[in-house]
Amino acid sequence: MLTLYHWEPNANSGKPMLALAEKGVAFKSHYLDLLNFDQHSPDYLKINPNGTIPALVHDDLVLTESTAIMEYVDEAFQGPKLMPEDPVERWRVRWWMRFFDQYFAPSLSMIGWSVFVGPSVRDRDPAALKAAIDRIPLKERRIAWSKAIYNTFSPEELEESRRRVGVGINCLEQALSQRTWLAGDTYSLGDINGFNLGYALPLAQPQLCNDEKTPHIMRWLRAIYARPAAKATWALGRTQMAQRIKFLEGQS
Amino acid sequence: MLELYHWEPNTFSLKPLIVLHEKGLEYMSHYVDFLSLEQYTLPVTSALEVRHNPEGEGPILVDKNVPMTESFFIGLYLDEAYPAKPLRRGNAYARWRTLMWARFVNEVLAPAVSTLGCSKYLAPALARRDKVALAKTIERMPTKEQRDGWLAALNNTYSDDLIADSHRKVGLAVKKVEDALAENDWLAGEGFSLADIDVFSLLASVPDLSPEALNARVAPRTFAWLEHIKSRPAVKAAFATSKTGKPLEAFTPGPEHSRWG
Repeated sequence: MLTLYHWEPNANSGKPMLALAEKGVAFKSHYLDLLNFDQHSPDYLKINPNGTIPALVHDDLVLTESTAIMEYVDEAFQGPKLMPEDPVERWRVRWWMRFFDQYFAPSLSMIGWSVFVGPSVRDRDPAALKAAIDRIPLKERRIAWSKAIYNTFSPEELEESRRRVGVGINCLEQALSQRTWLAGDTYSLGDINGFNLGYALPLAQPQLCNDEKTPHIMRWLRAIYARPAAKATWALGRTQMAQRIKFLEGQS
Repeated sequence: MLELYHWEPNTFSLKPLIVLHEKGLEYMSHYVDFLSLEQYTLPVTSALEVRHNPEGEGPILVDKNVPMTESFFIGLYLDEAYPAKPLRRGNAYARWRTLMWARFVNEVLAPAVSTLGCSKYLAPALARRDKVALAKTIERMPTKEQRDGWLAALNNTYSDDLIADSHRKVGLAVKKVEDALAENDWLAGEGFSLADIDVFSLLASVPDLSPEALNARVAPRTFAWLEHIKSRPAVKAAFATSKTGKPLEAFTPGPEHSRWG
């Protein structure tokens, strides 16, 4: 029995969704509405006491942290291998996933939370919002939700995040100008991770990411979106957020 | 021939040194004095994965002409490329647990230990040097993250809040290790593994940096586990690469504390 608890095909939730689809592994989808705080509900905290999404339940095992879940999925199930054979390329996949997870994605996420997540929930009943924040188990997540709900991002930290997004885009463009896929000649978990981070970049950061400035990123995003697994995964989206992927259609 | 660029055997440099000695791999050692900022003058530093290493400064392994950074991933690489004497055994779930330890160490423990170590040892060491010359060298560092990290040490701008939060994070890590060792002799369950090496390398200096969080009384299992690992011949050999005789006082700015989420 395999159940994935996830939100939209986007960022962390989308990583194991796309990896499972690429492997051809059937799973039960349990959608949690992040904007309704489903991830902090008592039922879900029994599965993942940290209240973070996604979580994968495989028989009696509970797995968390999207990047580590992807490596588990690749090793535990049949299907096409999503880690390269060559140890150097495996090292490169992991290096890039850490660069995404700890440098590039948090900065992009901060911007996303300031322009989308915060405004989506901010107008609800103040007492209910305060109670929702108090229920969040991790200190870091409580801070993140407070900033989004009360819009207390400082101009300096948003500016720093924008700067980092620019650095991340430049690094990614440089890597993809040297290799077909992120780590080498084979499509891997690194590409799946990067696509979840970057699929909407041409729409969200049009000055930094476009056919002229970052042709290799654009080529790479379109190549991943052309894969049936990506189409099937983004079709599971329920909000406008997932629809942003359509920007990759019918261009160039 | 494997080549390892490293500094004193502590934190990040310590990890691949232990792995190399545990696996009995021959390597060429390039000792780099991180305190004198020699790491910014190496021939291998132009690679993207060296310049933008999220670990901050750390060891660099060169194999097959590829410079590789990020100390835990170097260990994984060595274990996968040279499979004799494996350091990551068990099924996919045990292997996932090793990745989870590494993630926790990277995000929570490593920044905290780096802050406490830099505040106690790096900042005073830099204060004894030529501040103007150092500031000029720092200005030439390739990334803003590196410049900010070294300027904090040069100007000793670690706030009380940051120090307190670092002690809190170290306490979380010690509790996590103490709980894990109540269930198993080793962190990932299947014998001494890369998970033990990863966490040990960051915790070895903590009885000194945060003595209230880690001592034989409040965390007896963790304390005994540290001593047990120190007695392994490979770990002794790794510590023997020290040129200062005080490896557990060697710190660089390290990875950043999480900015978001």
